[in-house]
Amino acid sequence: MRGMRWAIALRDAAAIVAGCALVALVFNAVRGDGIPLVQKEEYQILVPCPETMGDATALAPDAPALRSPRALVVDARPAAEFERWHTASALNVPYDYLEPTPPAVIQRIAASGAAEVIVYGDGADPDSGEQLARELSGKGIRNVSYVTGGAAALQKGAPSGGQP
Amino acid sequence: MRRLLEWRGHAWLALAARVYLSWVFLYACWHKIVHPEMFAVDVATYQILPLELINLMAIILPWIELAAGIMLLIGWRTRAAALLISGMMVMFVVAISIALHKGLDMSCGCFASQGAAEDPISWRTIVRDSGWLLLALYALLLDRIPIGIDGWLAQRRVRAATSNQGVT
Repeated sequence: MRGMRWAIALRDAAAIVAGCALVALVFNAVRGDGIPLVQKEEYQILVPCPETMGDATALAPDAPALRSPRALVVDARPAAEFERWHTASALNVPYDYLEPTPPAVIQRIAASGAAEVIVYGDGADPDSGEQLARELSGKGIRNVSYVTGGAAALQKGAPSGGQP
Repeated sequence: MRRLLEWRGHAWLALAARVYLSWVFLYACWHKIVHPEMFAVDVATYQILPLELINLMAIILPWIELAAGIMLLIGWRTRAAALLISGMMVMFVVAISIALHKGLDMSCGCFASQGAAEDPISWRTIVRDSGWLLLALYALLLDRIPIGIDGWLAQRRVRAATSNQGVT
């Protein structure tokens, strides 16, 4: 008797799901603003922020967070400098003071699944790393920090001089 | 134990739980049905489903919420509705747990689409959803003769059986 009750509940639940799926698909097909059944392009899942520049935390060059496997390290320097030296597994996102970072790059960083994003730049004044970090933060990336002193400070601290 | 399970008060307590859950689900489904494109973005933000399934989920799930909410409210096929709501709550709790584990800073998308700053997911969201799951399980497991259409139909069947016995 008890098993039969469960079987009836399961059968009814399956029927409800099937009925709802049918109604939902028909409703979506006939409404003017229905969405495609299969999405072709990736959704922009960043939360838009009204301010272009957000907050970013300053990080010492020897901070343990830099070695965390859950951190994404971003090198804000031009590609040529990145080729000469960069930290292991760093992603090169050259910072341009005039052009905003392409949305595809920000999308890639957001989709990386990293718990935090650590940016280092040229260490100049202003520091390209800090600028990029603040831009990323302003565009919805969370837990962004930058390395004070940039690549130069990291190279000084690196025991083997870093990785090319 | 058996006396506890057969206590008649369960029907009334479950009715309160059902009305509350119905309100939650009817309120939750409305915005999703009206704006499936926003709900699809909410689903995508979890980064769990493959891209091909996101829109299907965004189109169908709110209608299941609507049907389950109405059925729970009027007490028709109550166990099936409670089963569906329990299943959805388990799914939501798992999805939010995964998002928290990934460190995603986002809104749960449970009701109207909100930004992460307005309604961020947290362990409190999981506790809230777990509470709703317990209410649904209570209705599923202990509401044997639900007040509503199911209860009325059950009474009719009993009356018909009694009158048949009287005739024979």
